[in-house]
Amino acid sequence: MPFTKKPHAFKAAINEVTLGTGDKAVTIGGENTYPFYTFDNTTKNKPVIGAEVSDIGYENEPEGYKAFFGTEDMVERAKKAAAMDEVAFICLHFAGADPFGANKSVEECIEKAKAVAAAVDKPLVIMGCKNLEKDTELFSKVSEALAGKNIVVLSAREENYKTVGASAGLAYNQKVSAESAVDINLAKQLNVLMMQLGVNPKSMVMNLGSAAAGYGYEYVASTMDRVRAAALGQNDTQLQMPVITPVSTETWAVKESVAEEADMPEWGSREERGIDMEVVTAAASLSAGSDAVILKHPESIRTIYKLIDALC
Amino acid sequence: MPKITFRHEDGKTVDIELQSGITLLEAARLANVAIDAPCSGNGSCGKCRVRIAEGTPDSERTRHIKEEDEKNGWRLACLTKVTGDVTAEVPDIAAAYRSRMKIADISSGKEVEIFTRIQEDIAAAGIESGCGIRQIKLTLPEPSLDDTMPDDERLERALKAETGAEKIDVPYSVLRILPGMLRKEDFRITVTVSEEDSTLKVLRVQPGDGTPACGLAIDIGTTSVTGILADLYDGKILAKASSGNGQIRYGADVIHRIVEQEKEGGIETLQKAVIEETIIPLIRIMEKQAGTDAESVVRLTIAGNSTMNHLFLGIDAGPLRREPYIPAFFSCSPVRAEELGLPVNAEALVHIMPNIGSYVGGDITAGTLASMVWNKDDICLFIDLGTNGELVLGNNSFLMSCACSAGPAFEGGDISCGMRATDGAAEACRIDKETMEPELSIIGDGELVGICGSGLIDTISELFRCGIINAKGQFVREGERVKRNEHGMGRFVLATRSDGREVSITEGDIDNFIRAKGSIFSAVMTMLNALDMDVSVIDSVYVAGGIGSGINMDNAVRIGMLPDIERERFHYIGNSSLAGAYAALTGTQAEEKIAELGRSMTYLELSTVPGYMDSFVAACFLPHTDASLFPSVQ
Repeated sequence: MPFTKKPHAFKAAINEVTLGTGDKAVTIGGENTYPFYTFDNTTKNKPVIGAEVSDIGYENEPEGYKAFFGTEDMVERAKKAAAMDEVAFICLHFAGADPFGANKSVEECIEKAKAVAAAVDKPLVIMGCKNLEKDTELFSKVSEALAGKNIVVLSAREENYKTVGASAGLAYNQKVSAESAVDINLAKQLNVLMMQLGVNPKSMVMNLGSAAAGYGYEYVASTMDRVRAAALGQNDTQLQMPVITPVSTETWAVKESVAEEADMPEWGSREERGIDMEVVTAAASLSAGSDAVILKHPESIRTIYKLIDALC
Repeated sequence: MPKITFRHEDGKTVDIELQSGITLLEAARLANVAIDAPCSGNGSCGKCRVRIAEGTPDSERTRHIKEEDEKNGWRLACLTKVTGDVTAEVPDIAAAYRSRMKIADISSGKEVEIFTRIQEDIAAAGIESGCGIRQIKLTLPEPSLDDTMPDDERLERALKAETGAEKIDVPYSVLRILPGMLRKEDFRITVTVSEEDSTLKVLRVQPGDGTPACGLAIDIGTTSVTGILADLYDGKILAKASSGNGQIRYGADVIHRIVEQEKEGGIETLQKAVIEETIIPLIRIMEKQAGTDAESVVRLTIAGNSTMNHLFLGIDAGPLRREPYIPAFFSCSPVRAEELGLPVNAEALVHIMPNIGSYVGGDITAGTLASMVWNKDDICLFIDLGTNGELVLGNNSFLMSCACSAGPAFEGGDISCGMRATDGAAEACRIDKETMEPELSIIGDGELVGICGSGLIDTISELFRCGIINAKGQFVREGERVKRNEHGMGRFVLATRSDGREVSITEGDIDNFIRAKGSIFSAVMTMLNALDMDVSVIDSVYVAGGIGSGINMDNAVRIGMLPDIERERFHYIGNSSLAGAYAALTGTQAEEKIAELGRSMTYLELSTVPGYMDSFVAACFLPHTDASLFPSVQ
């Protein structure tokens, strides 16, 4: 009997969400198959890569990273990253805003964000410092400052979704990411709350939570898997938002990427290890259903880009 | 060593000398001073308040104590470490228990009606009453030089002649008083006997016509204990009483109790707390109510969850809380009341309703009998909403049970203004969507005291319907009645009492309640899933527990506590455990049926079902993360 190919595209699809404006705007989502199941249907929008540019910690970056960017200046680094063809958007990570860290003022962060927005035409994603109060203020003000730029705010959480959702999503018409901690039910609950607040589901993306490979990553993978299965298989409209997964913030914080070669000679080059961690985690996230991953090292970005290109 | 002095409200003091660094709560326990500590002393419940009168112990700042109170010396005993001599004033715990745990099981007309109907249903199912205990009035022939039979044989002979029994057993306790009584009463006595096979056991001899033989049915709940004193001849209820379980100060739930029991001397302490401090006072109250004496109690039935059964009998419950969760026994042969220190007739036997699993106990086997699920052709669900929520699903051909930890929210525990369904409790609530003004119905004629389970269901359902709280139970609408504390935690003020105290429901209360309802609903779904069924198979749902007969089933569905099926299919059956224990007290056949139900029920251990936790998180939302499960709720 001859083999008859039976493509299995779902009737439901992931929402399409456009980030940024103008020629360099990028659309994510839209697919109606599992990730990279190109034999079921062509992937409407290929997964994309965002480049993380953090406002602190340049001095600790590996040599290759420093050689590529050459400067600590956030705006210059953003410009360099944006110049890479592989990079679809820039993720400005205001880790320095943390009141228990460098405690940079919200105004200072906004100045930086505005400077980058003026210098770069690729879409911007704003990542906070994980301090709830500071992030809430930062996200509200940055949404106002960059009105019309169609940025993504990463992220609204259960504790601050009202303020963040209202300012970013409703008042300034930006895109809002809903962040939950690796649990399909919590992800859905937050989406429902945001939608009840009046945020348009088509303006929402999800950050389902992440981890570095080997650090409980299987929970992340299975959560993404199940979210995608519910969105496509059960047409669950409350889970059909595209997924943006921050990878670099996780992988560059684990011992495999942090331990210096001098301390761990048998592990080899720190930079290579860091890139490897970033690449494997990003590859896993993409194959579990992320529509975008956020990476830091140019080498990782190039590698993952090749992977996406080869698979779609 | 520092000297610690506990001063009670009545001025009595207890001193103890202990090493520095010990917390006041630990010291209180060692000194046998009762301090209410539902969380077992980890600083989370805020109930173990004491006032430091002298000394400066080392105390952690806690959100449970207002700044003003802190200035006045109030501290949490569990967070306060002894550094030197200290005097702490202890609030009257007994009063605190009683006010917090006032219970009105089978007190209202509605509850009595439910109770009576259950007993009629059991009888209608062909289960005959009669527990084999009866009283026989005898006049014995007086001895003479020609008739030198000893007293016991004289009694035996008369009993054989009267009843035709083959064997008579006269125990030591009876023998001891028999000679005196016979001579004092001119050999006219009343004998209480229990009959088993063809043997008669004499339980009691009384002078003359005697007083009726009585029995006690006791439901030992994790949070509250309820008892019925009944005439064993006709089953008439002579008295009923209830109180908080004295073990509460060793933790609000069974796990904390077991932890406490595992400490040195813990088995005795916990047994003492339930028997000496709870059940014996209850017996005394009922004695007084009925105008009888505890000597006339010759039969007892006890229905409690597995942990309560273990702790009541003084059997180590430790293995219950550790994998693989093994109880010491399922069923236990009757225990002599004397061995447990119960002040009833020396020959009285205590019948323990059998356990089915590590967390499904005698309260459920007894409750299952009362629910009549076992006698139905259609599939029914029986839910006991207690501190532990237990479920039984099945019909006359199969029964499956499981337990989930709901916490004490349904009985008003862990809720700032929570209380059982009794006088002063708001049992129903409606809120005007425009003005946000609540309309409450209060049990009894008095002033509002707090909210009972059914009132909570209504209030939360109404707050949600009016858009005052969101599906996570957070306040999202501002108004005159919505207030916030310094940490931003919202609350809804239901009323301000004439004494200025506010009766309100806080975000924390709502959160506790959402967890409780989530655990019940997810248990229902997990059990149905295990049988590859869905809610459509359920013909009737029988809801039991101290939540109150005012429970509004529509609202219970709206908040996602009960499955979304036609509301007429729900029935409230009150304290089913007590109803079952009473049936077993007054009828051996009912007792045998309960044992049979226990043996035939399948037990599903939820902690081993991988999907349960997921299902629980999905249910911690109003009404549910999956709205399609609640089609009738828009």
